[in-house]
Amino acid sequence: MSLAAEAFVSQIAAAEPWPEKATLYQPLKEDQILLSDSASSLAVQTFLRMCGLPVQVSCCANAEYMSPSGKVPFIHVGNQVVSELGPIVQFIKAKGHSLSDGLDDVQRAEMKAYMELVNNMLLTAELYIQWCDDYTATEISRPRYSSPYSWPLNHILAYQKQWEVRRKMNAIGWSGKNLEQVYEDVSQCCQALSQRLGTQPYFFNKQPTELDALVFGHLFTILTTQLTNDELAEKVKSYTNLLSFCHRIEQTYFKEDKGSRSV
Amino acid sequence: MAEPMELLCWGGDWDLPSVHTDSLIVLAYAKFSGAKLAVKSIDWTWRTITASVPQLHYEASTVTEPTQILNFLRKQRFNADYELTAKQGADTMAYIALLEEKLRPALLHTFWVDADNYANLTRPWFTSHSPFPLNFFVPGRQASLALSRILLTKAESPLLNITEVEGKIYSEAKECLNLLSHRLGNFHFFFGDTPTSLDAFVFGHIAPLIKAPLPSGQLQKHLNQLDNLCQFCNTILKNYFNASAEKRTDCSPTAIHDPVDANLQKLTQLVNKESNLIEKMDDNLRSSPQHRPHRH
Repeated sequence: MSLAAEAFVSQIAAAEPWPEKATLYQPLKEDQILLSDSASSLAVQTFLRMCGLPVQVSCCANAEYMSPSGKVPFIHVGNQVVSELGPIVQFIKAKGHSLSDGLDDVQRAEMKAYMELVNNMLLTAELYIQWCDDYTATEISRPRYSSPYSWPLNHILAYQKQWEVRRKMNAIGWSGKNLEQVYEDVSQCCQALSQRLGTQPYFFNKQPTELDALVFGHLFTILTTQLTNDELAEKVKSYTNLLSFCHRIEQTYFKEDKGSRSV
Repeated sequence: MAEPMELLCWGGDWDLPSVHTDSLIVLAYAKFSGAKLAVKSIDWTWRTITASVPQLHYEASTVTEPTQILNFLRKQRFNADYELTAKQGADTMAYIALLEEKLRPALLHTFWVDADNYANLTRPWFTSHSPFPLNFFVPGRQASLALSRILLTKAESPLLNITEVEGKIYSEAKECLNLLSHRLGNFHFFFGDTPTSLDAFVFGHIAPLIKAPLPSGQLQKHLNQLDNLCQFCNTILKNYFNASAEKRTDCSPTAIHDPVDANLQKLTQLVNKESNLIEKMDDNLRSSPQHRPHRH
């Protein structure tokens, strides 16, 4: 959408209150969804819970194709569809709910910088591990991604997705890295987050912001997803304040689901 | 150190030591941390198409990519980030990620994809700095790499057209520049009074944008309104690069050492003379009967 159209849409969005039947769409939870999509989806759900906005999670096999930008998750609110955490945060801000209003300019700059760090390092590393590491791609990613479809569509879609991700990795210069270097990058990213968090309850002291939602989404998913080996989870586990951060947010915002999740 | 480290990078123009962002980052960091680099420009050599620039050669090893090179320099104990706290180190990583995600696509677009700039500035410059027959290929290859990077990272599936992505990447870049300006405030550098690796990264990204004579530069206009960032760039150029701009053209490093040695010798001789003189005066005073009580 052009910028003018986006501004127009957010004007309309501001006029309506949050409806009862807002829905969040993601791929099938048990069989299809992969690590990176699950992390993004959890980040959005956490953000909505932090804002106190109710949303129903609906799992569809073709969520990726329904999304306006091709990425999951996306939310369907009233008669608008918005995908990805960044635009969703802006959309909700237009409706009058915001978690980062109390921050001054320098803090807001820091928050955006850290969100980019997570996107740049953690998300890219997750994509790399899923699709560029041959063993993981063959054992986990391709079978899961194409599970709802029958032959030969499952092969075609899985290879197409893998090719797309590999092209992107090539363009940003990650294709020359090996798995060890990627784990090292994840470790450095976690170290930076851990140092920034320190002993505070949230990244910007007492109030959670979208950065907390994003970090929680990624770290919790890494800790609770079974991959071919546990090295990624081990890297995160070595930072105790990040573990307690995840625990705290899980306890505060996901209390009623406690039975189905465990770290 | 047996021999100096050698850095391959693109040449300089428009008052800058190099026109290439990544090379500028490494050059700036080397100045900040006091590392002596023998800078070799790849202009007019076949390396314009074969080498991935910047490239650091030391003894037998080769390192590419600014982050890897900075890590290597740190291991060699040239560390400009020594005095940063853990939190500041974490902030550095975050801001560098911000620059890469938000500012770099717009910079690539301004220099390589925007038709006006590419035809009138970038392509002629790179063509004139590449040897025949590479001058036909080098700019085109860089331009297509830049375009594919922008499309793959920023264009989501409905926005496959570059024109639709343009608006988005420029607005993100302007926001990023504003954020950097807020963070810098009135200080000279991002973390106090000494420059660090974050300053090197920011300098490398914004210096070409400030100094290049772009025919159509909406991002440049926006950056020129942010006074503190322009000031920051000029301060670094003045303090760290002007003095060495003349020295870089001097190819023999020994010629620089000789005047230093001669000065040192003269100084030593003067000091010796002074101390002899003082000893003589001291002896005279000791032996003089009149001044003895004053000496206590």
